Amino acid sequence: MSIEVTMPRLSDTMESGTIVEWKVAVGDKVSSGDVVADVETDKATMELAVYDDGTIASIDVEPGVQVDVGTVIALLAEKGEDPANLKPASSAPAPAAAPAPEPAPEPASSSAPSPVATPVVSATPAASSSGGGMRISPVARRMAESAGIPLATIVGTGPSGRIIKRDVEAAMAAGAETAASVPPAVNVPAVAAAPIAQPVAQASSIAITPIESMAGHGSPMASRRVPLSNMRQVIARRLVESKTTIPHYQVSMSFDMDPLMTMRKDLNEKLAGGDVKLSVNDFLVRAAALAMHQHPDFNASFDGDAIVQHGAVNVGIAISLPEDKGGGLVVGVIRDADRKSLRMISAESKALAEKARTRGLAPEDMEGATFTISNLGMFGVDHFTAIINPPNSAILAVGGAMKQPVVRGDSIEVGHRMTATLSNDHRVIDGAMAARWLQTVRESVEHPTLLLV
Amino acid sequence: MSRQIEYRDALNEAMSEEMRRDQRVFLLGEEVAQYNGAYKVSRGMLDEFGPKRIIDTPISESGFAGMAIGAAMRGLRPICEFMSWSFSLVAADPILNNAPKMLYMSGGQFGCPIVFRGNDGAGGQLGSTHSWCVEGLFSNVPGLKMVIPSNPYEAKGLLKTAIRDDDPVFFLESERMLGDKGEVPEEEYLIPFGKANVVREGTDCTLLSWGRPVNFAVEAAEELAKEGLSCEVIDGRTIRPLDLETIVRSVKKTNRLVVIDQSWSFGSPGSEVASQVHAACFDDLDNHVHRVHSHDVPAPYAANLEQEMLPNARRICEAVRSCCYVA
Repeated sequence: MSIEVTMPRLSDTMESGTIVEWKVAVGDKVSSGDVVADVETDKATMELAVYDDGTIASIDVEPGVQVDVGTVIALLAEKGEDPANLKPASSAPAPAAAPAPEPAPEPASSSAPSPVATPVVSATPAASSSGGGMRISPVARRMAESAGIPLATIVGTGPSGRIIKRDVEAAMAAGAETAASVPPAVNVPAVAAAPIAQPVAQASSIAITPIESMAGHGSPMASRRVPLSNMRQVIARRLVESKTTIPHYQVSMSFDMDPLMTMRKDLNEKLAGGDVKLSVNDFLVRAAALAMHQHPDFNASFDGDAIVQHGAVNVGIAISLPEDKGGGLVVGVIRDADRKSLRMISAESKALAEKARTRGLAPEDMEGATFTISNLGMFGVDHFTAIINPPNSAILAVGGAMKQPVVRGDSIEVGHRMTATLSNDHRVIDGAMAARWLQTVRESVEHPTLLLV
Repeated sequence: MSRQIEYRDALNEAMSEEMRRDQRVFLLGEEVAQYNGAYKVSRGMLDEFGPKRIIDTPISESGFAGMAIGAAMRGLRPICEFMSWSFSLVAADPILNNAPKMLYMSGGQFGCPIVFRGNDGAGGQLGSTHSWCVEGLFSNVPGLKMVIPSNPYEAKGLLKTAIRDDDPVFFLESERMLGDKGEVPEEEYLIPFGKANVVREGTDCTLLSWGRPVNFAVEAAEELAKEGLSCEVIDGRTIRPLDLETIVRSVKKTNRLVVIDQSWSFGSPGSEVASQVHAACFDDLDNHVHRVHSHDVPAPYAANLEQEMLPNARRICEAVRSCCYVA
């Protein structure tokens, strides 16, 4: 018997998931516990492991396609079973079974199959289907057309094989949709080449590649419609909710960074060779966390008829994700940041960023922030404002420590200054409170030895 | 909980309140006065309003219906009770040929603000000639309004609107529902014509009905919910005017429609709705509109056959499963 691999429920609220990437290909042997794919849920991108030993007999859901929890996404052949004899689980045709001719051998390490675009039939689905006596309900036709699913690929289960609404829904779930739903990040743009150029190039073993330098200027930019990833949907929903329901205002303060920069340089030199390298942000996380003890009304959430002051200080740090992972951003949380040393904060912060950018954060890595810091200093930004990360009441937007003329006493010297901008929920935090909090943070940033105790 | 009253008393309250409000309103019909109504709908009304406004008529529908129409043309607002709509057939000429056409034929000089009301549908072993469902027959005529209340609350609110309406209103009650109790508020309310009522929300199939079978549709929806089918039930309230907008809005959500109409299927409100829905939202349909009607036979006398002939919850469930392709 073959073993069905189904879309698992990876969180309480998960109803469907999207395969980001298959880590295995048909024919690969796998053992229980092996990670076979990355799955994007409504909360995070997570690893999907198999619970059985066997050989991958079929992969039934392509990357980029969203399917309901419980949908069969792959089949495993058991020991002694011939994978070639197993039928794909989905009723839709197996995706691109014929091997595409490869002009250059791939390095052996990248065994993950890249999504193969199904050849696009030139006629529209409606035109190609209406003639041949195909039966289809009106709403099914309309749904298939708007989803771009060729009717010929849908199996009808109504009377006399009529294609009905549930068949189109099944086809959408099973991934009959091809190119349209593949995330843009892995959607390699086709190279436009004159028809005669392709066979000529192939015969001469010449790879046709677009000329990058020409793409930037003069040639028109391509219009395209990029479907929202789950993460982008969450970002859109949460930030619109935040910006439209929380009365935001901002307070900025500039800090003399020379003492902190000097101490950081000194510490990093002394610690060189170990695995510790403190960043400016690590100091700010600690400074912000310690400031909460003087300003508990800052470490709080607005909750309808009350303001909830939190007993723990959990500092969220905004982590941007690389474009090739689909982009976006997540907030990783350093728990009890007020009770952790700089060294611990630094190590944890690095681990979170690394995990976010490679395997993806687990829900527990992202839960429970009571305050958030977003730092764009590394991009040369001098100041910006951020949107509050609910249910926080404030977020600190940090610019870079800029070399600039500073006034010391009565003379102008070269120094480093950094501007931090607090966005606050006015229902919880008034302007003077924000200013006092920033004063506390400035005190410790400008006298950074305070952060060591 | 507000008070519960019977369907017949809801009708009584509607008429009595409107008669107190408007001196032009009066009631006539067989046994409405001395006998307090053949079905006790007009109980106590003779005592309150006297013999000039609660009028017993001879067994002569053609005569008293014609008289009432004349009164309406001259400015009064009669309520003309038929003991059963089956008996209105002998008054076909005045009620179909005069009342609905008067405004048109007089070039707007004479309207006909009259309510014809009485029991419609099988009363329970009354035989073929006394078991008429006149929805299909009479809704065919332009110029009239047709109202079918499904419970006491609807009965009162719709009858008050009918009495105030300036057009002839065919008000179809049910002998089988006269004893049904339901919540009816003490305070005054009116239910406008042409506004269907979504009595239950659902996502898989829309069930549209009028009058008594609305209750069977709700029963069917409860049964089907156990099978995982989510039905939206609409009480159409009025056949003319037809609230196509509410029906189409629902069909666009569920993609499927079953119409339950206790008249015969040929040339009926059910077939008319099917046609209008196909025209209005063809591309939203996952199946053709399904219909549950009385079977195409004269009403049988035998109790079991009569039950089987009428729309019932079992037949509605079968139609919904078929429409949803789960039969």
